[in-house]
Amino acid sequence: MKPRVVITGTGVTSALGFTRQELFQSLLDGRSAAKSRPDWREMMPNAPQIVAATVELPEAEVKAIKRHYRRSMGPAALFAALAAKRLVAETGLTQEELSGGRVGCIASSTLGSPTETYTAALAVLNNSLFEQSACQFFKIVSHSTAFNVANMLGINGIQLSPCSACASSLQSVGLAYEQLLLGRQDLILAGGSDEATPIVLESFRLLRALGEEPSFSPEQISRPFDAKRCGLVCGEGAALLAVETLDHAQARGAMPLAEILGYATICTGAQISQSDSASIVRCMQLALDDAGISPAEVDYISAHATSTVAGDREEAAAIRTLFGDRVPVSSLKGQLGHTLGASGALETAVLLEMFSKGILLPNTNLASPAEECTGIRLLREPLQASPRIILKNCIAFGGVNATLILRKFDSN
Amino acid sequence: MTRETLISLINQVFVDKFELDPADLTPEKRIFEDLELDSLDVVDLITGLQHTFGIPLRDNKELLQIRTLANIYDLFEKLVQEHPELEEKLAKKP
Repeated sequence: MKPRVVITGTGVTSALGFTRQELFQSLLDGRSAAKSRPDWREMMPNAPQIVAATVELPEAEVKAIKRHYRRSMGPAALFAALAAKRLVAETGLTQEELSGGRVGCIASSTLGSPTETYTAALAVLNNSLFEQSACQFFKIVSHSTAFNVANMLGINGIQLSPCSACASSLQSVGLAYEQLLLGRQDLILAGGSDEATPIVLESFRLLRALGEEPSFSPEQISRPFDAKRCGLVCGEGAALLAVETLDHAQARGAMPLAEILGYATICTGAQISQSDSASIVRCMQLALDDAGISPAEVDYISAHATSTVAGDREEAAAIRTLFGDRVPVSSLKGQLGHTLGASGALETAVLLEMFSKGILLPNTNLASPAEECTGIRLLREPLQASPRIILKNCIAFGGVNATLILRKFDSN
Repeated sequence: MTRETLISLINQVFVDKFELDPADLTPEKRIFEDLELDSLDVVDLITGLQHTFGIPLRDNKELLQIRTLANIYDLFEKLVQEHPELEEKLAKKP
C-alpha cells in the first residue's frame, strides 16, 4: 500500500499577502494585484498600457536574510527564501530535521532570474563581464530557487528543479509527492517562484498573449473565461509547501492541511506555445486515475486559465469533456495575475484555505463568459461549500500540462 | 596619497560589497574570521579593489596571502609606490 502524502504548511510571498490566510482574504475581499507600471515604458515603448502584478517586499524581512545567503539570490530566489522562512516558522521544523538528510527541496522557476540575466547581458554589452559578481552565475541558473532555499535552511536531502515555465511549481509539488511515494525522503519543501519583468512581459506581448487593452483599467485586464479577455497580467511571487508522508507528519505532531491524492504531468508533443484540450483531458484523467477517483468525485476545479484567448478556450473544452457543467470552476488569475512558475504552488496554498474556510473563490472580471468557455460551471461569486476533493491544473509553454488532486485531510 | 586616503578607499570597497559597518573596519580585523568573508567574497573583493585602483590584481600572489585589513592596507601602500601614476588616476575619480 502506498504511503499517504500530506501538506502540513506553507510559505507564501505574493502581491496580495505574505501568508496563505492573508492571500485568501485579499482574494475574498476582491483586491487586485494588478498595477500600472509606467516605469517600464522605456523597455516596452509600443505597449498601449503596461500592467503587472508585482510584489513589494518588506525591506526589514529582506535584510533579515544574511548577506551570505542573499548575495546569490535574484528576485525569484529571494521571494522563495522569504516564503521558506515563513514555512519553517509555521511548521516548526527544527535544524536537526532540516539537516538530517531526510528533508529535500524541490523548487523551480521559469528562468532562474530574468532580472539578473539582464544584468549579465548589460555586462556583456559594456565589456565588463570581468567585473561581475562571483555570485551572478548563481542568481541566473535555472535551479537558483532550489539551491538558495536549501542552502539558507541547511537542507541536505534531494534538491531538484523541474523547470517548465508556468507549470514549474506544480511539477515541483508533484515530483515531491512522487519522491515521497518512493520513500526517498520524509518531507520536501516544494514549490517555486518567479518574477515579472519587462523582458517577460514583452515575450508574452510578442505572442499576443499579454493583456494591454487600453479601455480596461489595470484591475480589469485579467479576465479568465470572459468574452472580452485579451491576454494575461504577469505576476510574480513564490510559494513553498511542506509536503510529507502522513506517517512523518503524525510522528512529529504536525497537523495535515490536505492530502495529495494524485498527480500527472504530460506534454502535447505537438505545439510549443500552447496546450490543447485533448492533452489537458488526458492529463486530468491520468491524475484522476492516479488518485483512484472518478470525475464525479471532484468538488471544485482550480483552473490554470490565464485570460488568454486560446488557453482558456482549450482548458474550458477539456473541463467540459470530463466534467460537464457540474463542478464549480474558477481561476484566481483575475485578481492575482499569472504568477508564472510560482502559480501552481501559490494557488495551491489558496486551495488549502478554501478547504479550511469552506469558501470557493470565484472568477473575477467574468462579466460575460465567452461562448467557447460555456458548458462548464464558472463561479462568478464566492460559493459556500465543503469541498472534499479539488483538482488543480497548470499549463505551460512547451505544451506542458500538470494536474494535482487534493483531498481535504481526513485521518480515516 | 596618505595612508588615511588609502584606507578610506579600501574600506569603501568592503562597505559597498559586503554591507559591513565602517566602524567595524579596524586594521586588526581578520578577513575570514572577523569580517566573515569567504572564497566567493574574495573574488568580489579583488574585483572591487581592481575597479577602485584601476590595476590588475587577479594574479597578484601577495593579495592571496592577506589575512587582515592591515595586510591589505600595507600591500596597497606598496602598490601605490610601485605605480606612481595611480595617485593622478585616483585624484581624477569622482
